[in-house]
Amino acid sequence: MNLAEFFTGEELEQVHGASLLVLEEVGILVRNEKARRIFAGAGAGVDGTTNLVKIPRRVVEECRRCFPPSFTFRGRDPLYDRTIPADGPLMVTASSAPDIVDRQTGEVRRATARDLGQIARMVQELPGFDVFSISTLVADAPEGHLSLVRFYEALKNTTKPVRSNTPNMKELKEVLALGEIAAGGAEAYLKRPLLNHHYCPVVSPLTMDVESTEAVIYLAERGLPVYGTICPNGGMSSPLSPLATLVQGNAEFLALGTLMQLVKNGTPLIYAVLATIADLRSGNYAPGAVETAILQVAFSQMARYYRVPSGGYIGLTNSQENDVQSGYETGIGTTAALLGGCDLLNMGGLLGSLMVFDFTKLVIDHEIALMLKQLKKGVSFLPEDIGLKEIGQVGPGGSFLDHEDTLRRMRTTAFIPRVATREMRERWEAAGRIGADKRARQEAERILAREVRERLDKETDRRIKERFDFLSCFS
Amino acid sequence: MEKAEMFLSLKETLVLLEEEDLLARIEEALTSGVDPLAIIERGLLPGLKVIGEKFQDEEIFLPELMRSALIFQGVMAVLQPKIREQGRIIQKKGTVVIGTVKGDIHTIGKNIVRLLLEIGGFEVHDLGVDVDTFKFIEKAKEVNADIIALSALLTSTLSGQRDVVEALAGQDLRRRFKVIVGGGAATEKWAEEIKADGYAETAPAAVELAEGLVARRLREGGRGL
Repeated sequence: MNLAEFFTGEELEQVHGASLLVLEEVGILVRNEKARRIFAGAGAGVDGTTNLVKIPRRVVEECRRCFPPSFTFRGRDPLYDRTIPADGPLMVTASSAPDIVDRQTGEVRRATARDLGQIARMVQELPGFDVFSISTLVADAPEGHLSLVRFYEALKNTTKPVRSNTPNMKELKEVLALGEIAAGGAEAYLKRPLLNHHYCPVVSPLTMDVESTEAVIYLAERGLPVYGTICPNGGMSSPLSPLATLVQGNAEFLALGTLMQLVKNGTPLIYAVLATIADLRSGNYAPGAVETAILQVAFSQMARYYRVPSGGYIGLTNSQENDVQSGYETGIGTTAALLGGCDLLNMGGLLGSLMVFDFTKLVIDHEIALMLKQLKKGVSFLPEDIGLKEIGQVGPGGSFLDHEDTLRRMRTTAFIPRVATREMRERWEAAGRIGADKRARQEAERILAREVRERLDKETDRRIKERFDFLSCFS
Repeated sequence: MEKAEMFLSLKETLVLLEEEDLLARIEEALTSGVDPLAIIERGLLPGLKVIGEKFQDEEIFLPELMRSALIFQGVMAVLQPKIREQGRIIQKKGTVVIGTVKGDIHTIGKNIVRLLLEIGGFEVHDLGVDVDTFKFIEKAKEVNADIIALSALLTSTLSGQRDVVEALAGQDLRRRFKVIVGGGAATEKWAEEIKADGYAETAPAAVELAEGLVARRLREGGRGL
């Protein structure tokens, strides 16, 4: 499939060159001391007073040559291991919403550990999702152990790859300890690191923070999977010109990628973005805007230029409910990203600019995810697909309905939706005029009504609770 | 030019964001002996009011609102010394300590609120980003603030807002300062949950909120409660 592209080869060179100039002449503010030392050691200019780091193009270019072309997510069950770009596009839940739409009342409230467990269980059951990026925060986690509770609930309910962040080093180390117990020991964990870490260490414009940067360095040093997302917001934290947002965001990606290679040569990464243009009527954040889709396509093309996997939070919606806006924003964003060659889409389950999780939205997004995977397959072009035999056998005026070839293909060729209706109007009315929203809600309830399967064996769970006794409240 | 006509032209020039023209007109007015306080009250503040209304109606966009605020600030830098020369002062509405909470280095939203508070007549002490919980309290005590304003963009740093409210309670200072919260991750509900005194979704709303809280403090019996 030819991917959608905005730029010529020469234009890509220009963007790359402009980003190098930004890093070399404007520089990046690095608030993490260890990162400044690493950059200085590689020959970057570090201003000890302002913490501004100017990275010469030579340093970036050398590191760029070490960017590995693939990234692997590991699940607790190797069946779910996924490597991009080969296994892409990966469909991933969108993450870290503080709130949830209550299944009983429909009201928005804080998400709890119990909710998160149910979400993880749903993701396990929905085959279109490849990676569980932990969807919500957990309001009832004990102080200082938020990440541990989140990762524990995830591991307990899904064997797919789990991905999330941690707010500080203490919580990261606690989460790694959990991962080691789940893997059956520190050594086993290093061989098969089953937790995947994600941060936004670069805060636009051109600033690296303290804690996330520390976490990225720590994980890269140990060869544990980690990647970052770059989030320029045109008109606010990057220039309003989409091209300039691309240049700045690309510089920010290169700075992070360079740091990761300087920590350890050959550290895998993903060129992931959530690049937006602000709604300048009010300054409101607009991840559901069509410009988010446009920028995703542009950044995905840059990722291909660097031969690294491309990812993004894409297909998010600004809508507060599962309405028409929610559907078309997710649909347009994800379709553009897919056709633009994005390998990983953080797209499932959130409403209201990443603030609220909704089970119904998760089920609708799952259907969209399956449709996208179908779209990506395109048209099969094998000799047996050309159909000359079947066209000849049926001939003019006949029907293919009962042809052997139709019977052979009927369950695999077309995607069979569970949410979308194909009913004619009369039957649809007779059945109670049920719309996609309600069907998706019913599907969510149907899945959650299934028997709960513990995904952690009793002994592992016991060892985890022995180490972290407060987790006993969450079983 | 008649005085009323002159004030109207100042107002309109500000609404049109014609900075140089506005400064020239103000210079001219001052030379011809017009009271600098009257320039503010009868020319500039009505202009800001129109801008606020146009912003509400989406006739002007946020960058224009910001530009008007910056122009107003520039003009005030010219007018304030003149007012002081006359031995008068512009009464401040209140004192606000503002910053982005611990672990969060997002600055843009907080800066918009700071600017609008400043032009709204508040004395603002900006502690910047990634601000330690206790630094907010120390500063608020030092400058005898009315309000502590806490920004957080990330859902993962939002708890920093609660930390400040709790630390204030821990030091028996909760009633001394009003605490307001904002930023991408904050909501009205969250403000209620952590027992903050208020939440504002937008920067202009934050100014209104601050004005309302200061008025309430006065009704409650003034400072130092």
